[in-house]
Amino acid sequence: MPTTDRVPVTVLTGFLGSGKTTLLNRILSENHGKRIAVIENEFGEVGVDHQLVIGAEEEIFETNNGCICCTVRGDLLRILGQLLKRRDKFDYIIVETTGMADPGPVAQTFFLDDDFKQQFSLDAIVTLVDARHIEAHLEQMNEPGEQIAFADVILLNKTDLVDAAALERIERRIRAINGTAKVFRTQNADVPIAAVLDVGAFDLQRALAVDSAFLEPQYPFEWAGVYNLSAGKHVLRSGADDSHHDHGHDDHEHHDHGHHDHGHHDHTGHDHAGHDHGAGLGLALLAVQAADDAALAAAVEQAVRLYADEPVTVACGGAIPAAPVFARIAIDHAGSQFELKIDESGYYALFLEHAPAEFQLQLADQKPLAQRAFASHHHDEEIFSVGISDAHPLDPKKVNDWFSYLLQSRGADIFRMKGVLSLKGEDRRYVFHGVHMMFDGQLERLWPVDAQRTNTLVFIGRNLDRQELEAGLHSCFA
Amino acid sequence: MSKSPKQPNAILEPRGSIRLDDYVIDLAWSGDSRRIAVAGGEGRIFLVESETLHATQVGDHGLGALAVTWQSGGDRFASSGQDSRIVMHDAEGRVLAEQRPAMAWSAALSFSPDGTRLASAAGKQVFLWDADLELQFKAAPLDAGVAALAFDGSGRDLAVAIHGGIVVYRLSERGELRRYPWAAACLAAAFSPNGKHLATGTQDGSVHFWYLASGKDSQMRGYPGKVDCLSWSGDSKYLATAAHDMVVVWDFSGKGPEGSRPLQLSGHTDRIECLAFQPKGSYLITGGRDWRISLWQPGKFPTALDAHLTDSEPSSIRWSADGRLVAVGERNGNLSVYELVKLP
Repeated sequence: MPTTDRVPVTVLTGFLGSGKTTLLNRILSENHGKRIAVIENEFGEVGVDHQLVIGAEEEIFETNNGCICCTVRGDLLRILGQLLKRRDKFDYIIVETTGMADPGPVAQTFFLDDDFKQQFSLDAIVTLVDARHIEAHLEQMNEPGEQIAFADVILLNKTDLVDAAALERIERRIRAINGTAKVFRTQNADVPIAAVLDVGAFDLQRALAVDSAFLEPQYPFEWAGVYNLSAGKHVLRSGADDSHHDHGHDDHEHHDHGHHDHGHHDHTGHDHAGHDHGAGLGLALLAVQAADDAALAAAVEQAVRLYADEPVTVACGGAIPAAPVFARIAIDHAGSQFELKIDESGYYALFLEHAPAEFQLQLADQKPLAQRAFASHHHDEEIFSVGISDAHPLDPKKVNDWFSYLLQSRGADIFRMKGVLSLKGEDRRYVFHGVHMMFDGQLERLWPVDAQRTNTLVFIGRNLDRQELEAGLHSCFA
Repeated sequence: MSKSPKQPNAILEPRGSIRLDDYVIDLAWSGDSRRIAVAGGEGRIFLVESETLHATQVGDHGLGALAVTWQSGGDRFASSGQDSRIVMHDAEGRVLAEQRPAMAWSAALSFSPDGTRLASAAGKQVFLWDADLELQFKAAPLDAGVAALAFDGSGRDLAVAIHGGIVVYRLSERGELRRYPWAAACLAAAFSPNGKHLATGTQDGSVHFWYLASGKDSQMRGYPGKVDCLSWSGDSKYLATAAHDMVVVWDFSGKGPEGSRPLQLSGHTDRIECLAFQPKGSYLITGGRDWRISLWQPGKFPTALDAHLTDSEPSSIRWSADGRLVAVGERNGNLSVYELVKLP
């Protein structure tokens, strides 16, 4: 059979107004020398120089293999089928989905058909996120979370329309949903083309890059700092600089920057209510030996134990009990104060559920003498990522059985999975990825001779059970 | 039992070829077998003399032509393309009329057997025109995009393949006659010439057919990939399909194909891309990714009667109306004409 180079395909998702069109225009107008075919969700076929823009009406259907989550895009099957009927192939194909689209069917289309597998390679799913509206959208609908969950690359766009604290908060939330995507902060979707095209996210031959921080042990807190506090009363305050904080929720309808929101959703009146983290901010305070990293590290274990307790609830303006204590304070972004009573002068470590920048938190008007950030598995999201790392070699047969079971029983909830496995007696790495029940895996490059062989697995999905996934992996130990 | 080994009773003799500057996506013979209309995947429409293989470009559908169909027994043909247009040409290729029925690719195209009507599909909509491209009937949008169109032998009914089954329109009523539901993406539609069966192939790798009299249906599973080409023998006895590199032929004589083993004809070494039974006849031609066309006589001969290497992957095979000539179009633009020669 004549072999052909497969044409890479990027799937572009994101809500209306997130900047998909801006990004597309940027890609099409940039001088990269590629012949690009764009499949858009609006009809209006035009050939611009060497580029073809094809309109398509999204047509989602189930495949008949008995699995309800195996949905594909029928229109794409037809249109891409026609694109194959040209001698001069396109160098690149971009499929833009509608704002409300679930990226699953698009991605699965490229796994379904043997012709497609031979002719196209799904390169990456790129999701644009409108920084200004994403928090509201995440509260109101499922689709934005799904779009983030499916992504290999996320452009956190319109960063100029929110403040630094909000950006931190949003990025953390994105990370909680999708622990492996590359996140770029952008304005006007301005990102190097190389960041969104030819990413190779589905390419088993390229190393599956998993952010190592994502696989670190995870903690119930995200930040800790050491303070030198004298005996007596101190003040813990948030939102010190009022003027900075007033970023005008009422004005939102007016800074549209030419993007079209079409009143798609009414965001007015949404005043951060969605991300007050339910019941305030968790905080643990305990005495430490010194103001250095070592002392902080020594305190981590105690902090984890404190966090396992029931918190003392402290209303706004109330007093936080003496250390050691785990409290939940009713903080808001606009400015709140709490009293902190210290019995004995010395060094104290404050472990916060969320980074202090978000709340502009200040303790005793001091800067921390030492501080550290922690990877947190704390999440309020229904959709989130689970990363597992383990060095124990695995039995190929057991792995096969476990994956079969997972795909059958949890395929609908697992949006994406990928990883690298160390199989017993095998010097090559087993690399896999999957979209729902569509799965692709193979033996790839040799493990480096001197490197530790590690199983690295990432699951992104809805209501995943970390314990169950870990137990599943353990059941595959050779 | 027949004597063996049998000698082939027919071969395909090459009559000539030409290289067109386009991917051959569809072909149509004129009623008198003198001309072939060719749709190019990159947009051009050609008219080729079957005797001399002299080619003339007679049209252009912008970014890609999609289909051509010749008026049965008539002197005109229609072409369609990604530019949304449907164009009616005379036998010399001159434009007689054109329409742009919808802002979507006009993909499928089919002339009725009596040559009085042309059916076209754009997206989820089906249109019926007269031979001068005057609109006769526009059907209500279907639930899914149209994959294929087929008239029955009498020209009374039109079958439309979509995801979810086959919709049949009764043209005299200008409305839907009946739905044949099947929960899969149906890629093809073909009435048996005797009007007893309607068959489809699906994306999921099955062939499904209905007995039109009773509405009873059957499914033939086990195909390794999508089934997008079907062809009935002239006597309605056989339905030819392709299962990767194997020609699979279902026998509809007697009690029908249910529970029976189909004829399985091997010879190709890679996926079969197109196949066509001789109109009113028993010979079958297949073309595959092995850059080969093969001539078969299913039920009579277990192996290929003849085979020819092509210049690239065959993409379209069409018999002339008299069943004597075959045009084979290829990916690289090659167009060849063969003659079926019966051996004494």
